[in-house]
Amino acid sequence: MIYPDVSDILARKAEARKEIASPSFAEKIAIIEAMRERVAPFKRAREQRLATQEQRLTKQAVRRIGA
Amino acid sequence: MEADGVIGRYAIVGAFAASYYVEPTLTAELDILVSFEMEARQRKSGLVTLEPIFSYRKDKGYEEFRKDVVIEGWPVQFIPVADDLDAAALAEAKEANIDDNAGAVRTRVLGAEHLVASCLRIGRAKDFIRITQLLEGNVLDLPLLCTILSRHGLTESWRAFCFRNGISDPCGPY
Repeated sequence: MIYPDVSDILARKAEARKEIASPSFAEKIAIIEAMRERVAPFKRAREQRLATQEQRLTKQAVRRIGA
Repeated sequence: MEADGVIGRYAIVGAFAASYYVEPTLTAELDILVSFEMEARQRKSGLVTLEPIFSYRKDKGYEEFRKDVVIEGWPVQFIPVADDLDAAALAEAKEANIDDNAGAVRTRVLGAEHLVASCLRIGRAKDFIRITQLLEGNVLDLPLLCTILSRHGLTESWRAFCFRNGISDPCGPY
């Protein structure tokens, strides 16, 4: 099997990282805040999923205790 | 809080501090390394209490979230100075400006080299990623980093980190 050369992709990624490392601290803080807003729905969904899972485990435990 | 005497000297650490030097990283909270003026009886016991911060939080009406104080929407984790490395890192923290449309705010950020030492000491996977980011970002004063690592007994951990990651150790040969 022949694999494609991805070195140019990796080089572009390194270049992009360098670019987003150059703004001022205030601009970077704004980027972090924007990232936080973007992931907020995913975080909420994860928390809901975990809460449901926990509820299910609690039910199972109660059922076992009762059995 | 520093001006009000609630806390002593402080500096931004963690992901925000790393973001000062390299690309911004997603984080859930703002970590603050903080010193407290200890009363004589506290110095004896060695116990540090975050009570002044939580009293201040109540006075200011800030919420609490999982033991963090939520300030202007950000959960803020106050981490008291716990050893010589923390104390040195805080003493040598860099002055930084946050300039935006709302005006300028002066703050302090942990030096990149102390940040590496701190990450190495904590040693979670994400701390090692942070070290790699700082190394790749060419933001480190390597002789200074090596001095800090040696001073705080982190040379062996550093050698192991370099070995694991295939990095030519800038502090070697020993």
